[in-house]
Amino acid sequence: MAAVSRGLLSRITQIFPIRSLTLSSSQSLPHSNFFLTQRFSSEITGAPSRIIEAKPVEMSGISKRTGIIAVKCGMTALWDKWGARVPVSILWVDDNIVSQVKTVEKEGIFALQIGCGHKKAKHLTMPELGHFRGQGVDLKRKLREFPVTEDALLPVGTELGVRHFVPGQFVDVTGITRGKGFQGVMKRWKFKGGPASHGCSKAHRKGGSTGQRDDPGKVFKGRKMPGRMGAEQRTVKNVWVYKIDPARNLIWVRGQVPGAEGNFVFIKDAHYKKPDVSKLPFPTYLSPEDEDPSELEPLVADLGEVDPFMLAE
Amino acid sequence: MATSSHLLPQALHMIPRIPNLSSKSLGVSWFLPRASSVNSRISVSRVSLNHPGAIESRKRRVIIAKAEESNEGETEADLEDVAETVEDTGVEEAKTPWKPRTKLGDVMGILNKKAIEVSESVRPVPEIRTGDIVEIKLEVPENRRRLSIYKGIVMSRQNAGIHTTIRIRRIIAGIGVEIVFPIYSPNIKEIKVVSHRKVRRARLYYLRDKLPRLSTFK
Repeated sequence: MAAVSRGLLSRITQIFPIRSLTLSSSQSLPHSNFFLTQRFSSEITGAPSRIIEAKPVEMSGISKRTGIIAVKCGMTALWDKWGARVPVSILWVDDNIVSQVKTVEKEGIFALQIGCGHKKAKHLTMPELGHFRGQGVDLKRKLREFPVTEDALLPVGTELGVRHFVPGQFVDVTGITRGKGFQGVMKRWKFKGGPASHGCSKAHRKGGSTGQRDDPGKVFKGRKMPGRMGAEQRTVKNVWVYKIDPARNLIWVRGQVPGAEGNFVFIKDAHYKKPDVSKLPFPTYLSPEDEDPSELEPLVADLGEVDPFMLAE
Repeated sequence: MATSSHLLPQALHMIPRIPNLSSKSLGVSWFLPRASSVNSRISVSRVSLNHPGAIESRKRRVIIAKAEESNEGETEADLEDVAETVEDTGVEEAKTPWKPRTKLGDVMGILNKKAIEVSESVRPVPEIRTGDIVEIKLEVPENRRRLSIYKGIVMSRQNAGIHTTIRIRRIIAGIGVEIVFPIYSPNIKEIKVVSHRKVRRARLYYLRDKLPRLSTFK
């Protein structure tokens, strides 16, 4: 409410500058007048600089697409069509929507702010509520910004789905790792510890020496010592997307993904194993009007027509 | 409460306004025109005190009727509804029906069940318990798709959805061998329960310390 009324008031004072408002305090009169005229002139002369539409565009080699936010559901193992076992993590893409577009003119970079999940108004602070109301977007539980290139911008309110990714491509998955608490030097830094016997006195799992003697006479910063481990952001790279279920908004990826079940992870196109530019939907997958999402079949990665085990003979 | 006695004349005045009660719609049709929630609650108690037999028996009949027609799990909710719908009758008609939302904790269970259904349609899996003597025909992809046969006693069964595994023990060429098989794997072409040995454990790890005779199967 406050955000909307503030915005309305500022628009009204720009278009119809009211003398009574500026005469409220004599000291700030020249400054406020100057300020209003500046904003007034820029609103009239500057045409809307950027019209962003959700239209399929050709992807070039240097384009960068947005990522999506998902929730880690758990891990299982599946068997692909040739009988090889694939350990998978299941990620649930829960109602991703573009909640803010950042451009060079206003914010200095090109980026999309994506929101994921649902949240009740009573659990959000007033600044957050104002942000969602100002953008005209549902209340989301997690917001995250993804820097993109100019041709990959999407309008506010565009829904991103699981079909943004193609099964068979590689992705980078970022998440906050599981917290391990206060851990010793062997687990935290993979030290070898001390000998188990041969007279070793009470130093089986310690760090040993911490430096030299009088010169330098101190322990250098960054010396690996016991401390709190985990609960920090890490990225797992080049994760293979095995299967996609658009009806249930699920992605199956091979291997591990940082974080515990129920935590948010951020999925982006892989940086090193870059996918084939022609196969990815750019800027995102825009579903046609007549498509019913609940009737789509899961898409599995293409494993080839030839049995890989027969080839090995 | 002091306020209740103060409001008693108002409540008594409001009683004749209550329309004719039907047993099915006891909760819904109690529309007290301009009563606040406090007043309405008090009037309910007043009514029950003044007409102990009539209203309470009607309430009981309503509860019994609702219990008969609905499942057992919903009787509790109905009791609460009958007591509380007096306050929010106007609001109830405007609420949209509650859409059942799948929670995050159910996702893995549902997916595992669906995957097991798919696997069962291709090859049904018999019921295997610890102590069964079982014969498995396995197709090894690395070994040029030959069928190998494994026989032995089921030492344990680990339930993990689609990756439910059984551990088979047998003495092969004088050496005890334990192999773990995921029973819903597409590489297993056949599982057959040959016989059963009575055991009093879920996990037969004690066989490792026993005589080899107990783990030999021809």
